[in-house]
Amino acid sequence: MKKFLQIALGIVTSVGGFLEIGSVTTAAQAGASFGYKLLWAILLGTICLIFLVEMSGRFSAVSKHTIVDATRERFGFPFFSIMLMGMVLVAFLVLVAELGGIGLSLQILTGIGFQWWAIPVSFAVWLVMWKGTFGLIENGVSLLGLVTISFVVAALKLHPDWLGVARGLLPGLEGDQKAKYGFIAVSILGASISPYLMYFYSSGAIEDKWDVTYIPINRVIAILGMSFGGLLSMAVLVAAALAIGPNGVDITRFEQAAQIMTSALPKWGFFLFAVSMLVACLGAALEISLAISYFFAQGFGWNWSESLTPSKDARFCFTYTIIILLAAIPLVLRVDPIKVTMISMALTAATLPLAIVPFLFLMNDPIYLGEHRNGWISNSVVGIVILISFVLAVISIPLQIIGG
Amino acid sequence: MDLVRDVLDKQLVDREDCEMGRVDGLVMRIGENSQPRITHIEIGGKTLWMRLHPGIAKLAAKLAGRWGPKRTATVRIPWSHVVATGKEIKLDVEARETGAIDWEIWIARHIIERIPGGGHEEEE
Repeated sequence: MKKFLQIALGIVTSVGGFLEIGSVTTAAQAGASFGYKLLWAILLGTICLIFLVEMSGRFSAVSKHTIVDATRERFGFPFFSIMLMGMVLVAFLVLVAELGGIGLSLQILTGIGFQWWAIPVSFAVWLVMWKGTFGLIENGVSLLGLVTISFVVAALKLHPDWLGVARGLLPGLEGDQKAKYGFIAVSILGASISPYLMYFYSSGAIEDKWDVTYIPINRVIAILGMSFGGLLSMAVLVAAALAIGPNGVDITRFEQAAQIMTSALPKWGFFLFAVSMLVACLGAALEISLAISYFFAQGFGWNWSESLTPSKDARFCFTYTIIILLAAIPLVLRVDPIKVTMISMALTAATLPLAIVPFLFLMNDPIYLGEHRNGWISNSVVGIVILISFVLAVISIPLQIIGG
Repeated sequence: MDLVRDVLDKQLVDREDCEMGRVDGLVMRIGENSQPRITHIEIGGKTLWMRLHPGIAKLAAKLAGRWGPKRTATVRIPWSHVVATGKEIKLDVEARETGAIDWEIWIARHIIERIPGGGHEEEE
């Protein structure tokens, strides 16, 4: 019974924490520009994420190491420092995007511009980190995130053409607008496969004191939680395709994205959209701030735990305090959060090999995992998806920049 | 034991299992007529930045001189204090006496405890 509850809670938190500004913006953009044609990118990204999350949990449950901790000790400081710079830079941009997402949600609710919300929002996120425990962040915020299921309601109410949806799940090439198609596909992959989620998940396994007996639970949570989460992203794409596109409209403003909900639910849609985005971005902002602090603390061997009093892990708390403060600056300067989102998602995809290749080495290392190390299926699936993402990113990001 | 695989960059904990950094460097003694011996574990930014580039180490030292705890010597722990090696390396020392967590203490005292809700270190 206890195990069943753990599984249920794990799935609920994965689903509630799945959507964030990246997945919503990229899926909405895809639906608005290309109809159902890019559904395959969400499917591919979700499959890869299932494998990666399962691996992260298994790695920490068996080895009692977090991924970052093991990366530093296995690959040494020079390599670690390069990875640190890459990961922290990308995660920082994503944090800016999430804080901006909270600001934009408040903007459409209140009419007050997001730049005015930057400081109060950052302060609120920081305060939850400062006062809250790991359990509060992991469970409390994700439970609230279940409001994002309203995207599924919206998609269903618009009566999608199921045959078209099924066809979209198979990859296809787009005739014209190849560069844009590729760029959005890359951004979707970057939004689905987020390395920070792995660091967060593996640190969580240590915070919750997992051991080998958690392997089956971990597997169920990864498969069900991430699949349902992926369905939410698909619902956003489908609803966007029906409500906005496909007519080549670019989503550049948050109000446009709100049409996803308002056309299906005229009365409550706007409010639901704003609240969903607010909660989803808040959850993600907390997870990313934690992941960045974990990265520093574990890599340099500081004491860390989100559940300690700040003075007991001063450097850990200092890190997220500074990071959250810095992330507010671009928003105060009115840098557009939607643009930051698209760029940071594509950059995530481009830097995936840096995060995932060393991780695959660890997952095959008998020193850490013994008999629980990866089989060839896991290695091939993750390896191939990462390769696809990287190649797509390297081709489409320059094309997108040239094309404006 | 394989020095690079099993020692370098490993997590260090003190007597009370308090995390006190990682094995940032190792000091070896080479005698005229004897085999080389590992004598100390080095902890701290100086050793760490040196592994990347001397210029970065110089810059870090300059910045650290302006802020932070006033200690310039690299923290060296004699190998004889190593109690156990495994997932972590356990040392028979008190972390705060070695200087390895000077920065932790400095940031706690000067920044974290001044923010409301930061908590206070209990007096020893």
